[in-house]
Amino acid sequence: MRFVLRRLLLFVVALLAISVAVFAMLRILPGDVAAVMAGVNSPPERVAQLRAELGLDRPLPVQYLDWCGALVRGDFGTSMLTGRSITTQVGARAAVTFPLIILGLVIAMLIGIPLGCAAALARGRRSRAIYRLVSIIGGAIPALWGGMLLILLFGRGVGLLGVLPSQGFPTSGWGTPGAALASLALPALSVGVIVGASLMRYTRSALGEFVASGYIEMAMSCGMTRTQAVLHVGLRLAMPQMVSVVGLTFAEMITGVMVIENLFALPGLGTGLVTDVGNRDLIAVQGELFMLAAFFLLIGLVVDLAHRALDPRLKASADGNEVSA
Amino acid sequence: MNDANGYAAVVLRSMWRRASGRFPLMVIGLWVLVSVVSLFWTPRPLMQTDGYHTWQAPSAEHWLGTDGTGADVFSWLMAGSRTNLIIVILTVLVAAALGLLFVAAMVSRHTVLAGASVVVVDALISIPTVLIALVLAVPLGASVAVIVIACGFGYGLNLARVARPQALLVARSAYVESAMADGASGAYVLFRHIVPNILPVMLVQLSLSAGTAVLAESGLTYLGVGVPSGTPSWGHSLATTVRFISVYPLTVLWPGLVVTVVVVALNLFGDALRDAIDPVTNPALRQGTGVSGKEDGHGR
Repeated sequence: MRFVLRRLLLFVVALLAISVAVFAMLRILPGDVAAVMAGVNSPPERVAQLRAELGLDRPLPVQYLDWCGALVRGDFGTSMLTGRSITTQVGARAAVTFPLIILGLVIAMLIGIPLGCAAALARGRRSRAIYRLVSIIGGAIPALWGGMLLILLFGRGVGLLGVLPSQGFPTSGWGTPGAALASLALPALSVGVIVGASLMRYTRSALGEFVASGYIEMAMSCGMTRTQAVLHVGLRLAMPQMVSVVGLTFAEMITGVMVIENLFALPGLGTGLVTDVGNRDLIAVQGELFMLAAFFLLIGLVVDLAHRALDPRLKASADGNEVSA
Repeated sequence: MNDANGYAAVVLRSMWRRASGRFPLMVIGLWVLVSVVSLFWTPRPLMQTDGYHTWQAPSAEHWLGTDGTGADVFSWLMAGSRTNLIIVILTVLVAAALGLLFVAAMVSRHTVLAGASVVVVDALISIPTVLIALVLAVPLGASVAVIVIACGFGYGLNLARVARPQALLVARSAYVESAMADGASGAYVLFRHIVPNILPVMLVQLSLSAGTAVLAESGLTYLGVGVPSGTPSWGHSLATTVRFISVYPLTVLWPGLVVTVVVVALNLFGDALRDAIDPVTNPALRQGTGVSGKEDGHGR
């Protein structure tokens, strides 16, 4: 219980720190946002007017507290460019990005975990080396290039096996679930292959720790074969660690997801954020970044709590002694 | 100093002796060489475009063909290697400096500072690098600095987290205790005792980060917040041609291949380094002081 409270406190503190960081980076770093937003050749009056409109002429602490107050009320502001509320905008984009991330993660787990187990079980010098190379090469392919190679293979109209759409998302969205899912298939596969490689590496090293341990020997002396022992006992032992890894991978995936969304022209969070940064849409960028960062902190929190719940050994060893435990 | 040189020589020689260490050393050596050569010579001038010969297949004139503006792909990749090298070196330096700073704070005797820094590192580590880069890009625009700061910061946090257990062990050890009792300063303890002990962990982590930095460069450049348009880099070559992969697959093949090979090499380098600097797996380090390099060359 103490651990849970501590962890929740950490979450709140971190959320505050993130809000300060996002705010400070967007305001204090060089470059007058209002001037950039107004355009290169706009008269100074227009810049001043814009600054007043955005509330940029008020003292920074006042601006910050104002923003925080709005956040607490759930008001993320209105985009300067589209005139829509940021919350609606993010909601529409998340309907593309989250299914993509989840689909990608499922594919990654389907690829990474069995391969990781096989790699941990491999005993021959040569087969070990091959598994290692597969995981390293899989993780070394730039997302952009891997996605393009997949389009070349499967993309409708261009690919060798042109079966799947490679551009855009149906305008009817999830109203036509089949079309929506099909348009996410290739992007999810691109993300999944890359993440799968890193998941494979983690699985192998998590299992590898137990393969040489007394647990496996014990299970084997009870009559299990080595494979059985590793898959039943080892995988069970490695489970808490795996949950942590999958959670962290989830956060790492966002980089690949942003590139892939742009490549496949999907109207998701990544594409949206990049467009807003390109347009210097300060209000939108500020709100979206905070929401994304908060989301990642939330994942970190859930993962830590799940790790704790799954691994009874952690509970036994001095409850909450170490914040990072 | 001599001691450190001898140690480095033994480690490098041990890496060279195995195929899995020789390959990354060769790729990295070639990378540095090409970067230097590209400063003085490329087969074609970078800015020489030719509207009549766009998207050419590889030929004697253009070794890897030309891109959509008729510029020579091979020359751009050569010139790009130096930009990527600079990015990687700067990123690794920033990550090492920040990582050390975080480690120092996390193991400091000042309990409030230590506790607070552990909390801060844990919180910030869950923020993806690309988000930091996007924030930085708002005031800075597309630039090398965005990549270096964002990646250096993110990898520095990772480094601190990985190195902390070892550093903590040293910081609470009896010899550090006695050094402090003798009036040694915090900075002295950090560089005299903690750094040498966490150096192996740091080097391995940093070489893995170097690979990630190369990948991050291509991703961020494609998103328009990395290397500015017109500056040669592998990510730039990839980003400007990738849309045309289905029409001209041969042109797009090369930059992706270069990035993949270099990242594989940096990862293998990290693994080989881990084996070479660990006295358990590397017998050369166990013989005496490990400085007697010449004899080691013949042993096992």
